[in-house]
Amino acid sequence: MKIIDEKEPALLKRAVRGDEQAFLALYQKHQAPLYRYALRMTGSPWAAEEVVQEVFLLLIREPQKFQPDRGELGAFLFGVTRNRVMKHLERLPRESSLDEINDNGTAWREPEDPLTPMMLAEKSERIEQVREAILGLPAEFREAVVLCELEEMSYEEAARACGCPVGTIRSRLHRGRALLLAKLELLRDAPRRASAGAR
Amino acid sequence: MVEGSKKLMMKCEEFELLGLDMDRSDVQPEEAETAAEHAATCPRCFALLESWRELKEDLRVLREATRFESTPARVEMRLKQELRTRREARVPRRTVRLVSWALPAAAALAIAIGWAQWHKSVSAPLTTTQPQIAAIAKGATNLPAESILLAADYDTGDFTQLPGSMPTASSEEAILQARVQRGALMQFGLPVAPEQATDWVDVDFLVGEDGQPLAVRLHQDSQTEAVMQ
Repeated sequence: MKIIDEKEPALLKRAVRGDEQAFLALYQKHQAPLYRYALRMTGSPWAAEEVVQEVFLLLIREPQKFQPDRGELGAFLFGVTRNRVMKHLERLPRESSLDEINDNGTAWREPEDPLTPMMLAEKSERIEQVREAILGLPAEFREAVVLCELEEMSYEEAARACGCPVGTIRSRLHRGRALLLAKLELLRDAPRRASAGAR
Repeated sequence: MVEGSKKLMMKCEEFELLGLDMDRSDVQPEEAETAAEHAATCPRCFALLESWRELKEDLRVLREATRFESTPARVEMRLKQELRTRREARVPRRTVRLVSWALPAAAALAIAIGWAQWHKSVSAPLTTTQPQIAAIAKGATNLPAESILLAADYDTGDFTQLPGSMPTASSEEAILQARVQRGALMQFGLPVAPEQATDWVDVDFLVGEDGQPLAVRLHQDSQTEAVMQ
């Protein structure tokens, strides 16, 4: 209990000295949101795993990079994660980030839903389309959608996380949504157009 | 009245910018209300809003599907391993740091103790157990006692045994170096030519454990005079 109440800089100090409990307390608190962000941005569980690992390795190896007077540990970790994700996206061609999301069997779980198998399949297909459409967005629009729509951050929180004004986030989100709608319309209309053409 | 006119004034471009934020908590209620009223009167914007709500629902499902995603356990294992490796590496480093400080300190201490003991064993005969040599050195040479230097222990090469002294195999002798007049050597029973009695020579005295001189030798440059045979 005590370890949870402890301030993060104090925990970090202990972690750097080799206190495993202190490190795990920090890791458990921050890893999941960072992993989800990385996963939603890259679409690759492997890349997300790598990113999170690098972020925490940096924390172990260069803890002095986090300066408590400049912000909270969560914000620092998110900033590092974001940089790593952006580097990953720059490095890879767009197509390669669309690797199988559920290749480790853990990345994709349908929520329990009392629907018929047919309806479930349709729903699953729709979600897959949305996921692909998000991954198809330019990185900055994708980030706005991920943070504001999937992570449910407020505009202020998203702006802080990205280090830009609220207006920029709103504008990116607006364009991201418009692109997303257009892409999905295209995806969903294609089979209809195909079946209409066949007739 | 003013608010009503604002509502009527909302255009489709404005709705595209603001209308999709209607359901968000960080949008002003008046703004949301104006957008809703516009959507009710504009079929195009209403269709856009419907499409967005549909997508929003899909996003919600996607969000729920990935809500409990977290880093695979193997990452935690790797990080713990890294932490342990660093902790283990830190212990020898600390030891090395301690050793690197302690070893020279111990060496310095040993040298200091050795020097002190050596100095004590050398200076003690001069002042207490070796009054004869000290007196000779002082009286014969008029040099201060400090000028009598110890050259080396155990260096007994080319020493001439003084009359009355016995050769010894002891390793406790010390060598005292002094600059004296040749005449002073006569006090040790050594023959000195009278005309050379006032010459200055550098001599080494081999001093026994009891502080008595056992042997003497002239330095190379002094030996050319061949005083002692």
